[in-house]
Amino acid sequence: MSSSTEHTIEQADLEKLNDKDKAELRQFFSNEEQRSRIQSQTHELTAICWKKCVAGNTIRSGALDKGEQTCLASCVDRFMDVNLATLKHLASMRQQ
Amino acid sequence: MDSEAVKKAIIRQALQATNTANARTLIENINEKCFERCVPKPGSSLSSSEQTCLTQCMEKYMAAWNIVNATYIQRIQQEIGNQSITNA
Repeated sequence: MSSSTEHTIEQADLEKLNDKDKAELRQFFSNEEQRSRIQSQTHELTAICWKKCVAGNTIRSGALDKGEQTCLASCVDRFMDVNLATLKHLASMRQQ
Repeated sequence: MDSEAVKKAIIRQALQATNTANARTLIENINEKCFERCVPKPGSSLSSSEQTCLTQCMEKYMAAWNIVNATYIQRIQQEIGNQSITNA
């Protein structure tokens, strides 16, 4: 990190932003927020699915075997199925 | 600094912060999972077999992260596709 050359952004700098750049930054931060959400969900899902698909197996190499790869992908998809099924059932309970 | 330079500096700093946070979380999780997996009974030092296990475990965890990320993104896109069909 070249913190010596890195300019610290101050209030005075922010006032220099024109409308076009402000709009671009809003878009950038909205995309970043989404990327960040997906990454944290990926961290949680990896921990959950690691436990189900890899943790119990003997480690023989640094690569995932075919079975582990398939299991991980299915784990994510079934987790999402459960997520959607929960929301759907909750919605039907609220209508009763 | 003009408007363009301020914008670029903000973007660069924000990306750096997000990427650092992401890497930190990944490292924390790798430490936790691989310590649990490879060092069941901590001895007076890390044995060479424990060290081998740790590097392999680390590589596996990162490969798992990539599969989970790709599958998750694919699923989100699929759900968005389904939603726009139902709403149409």
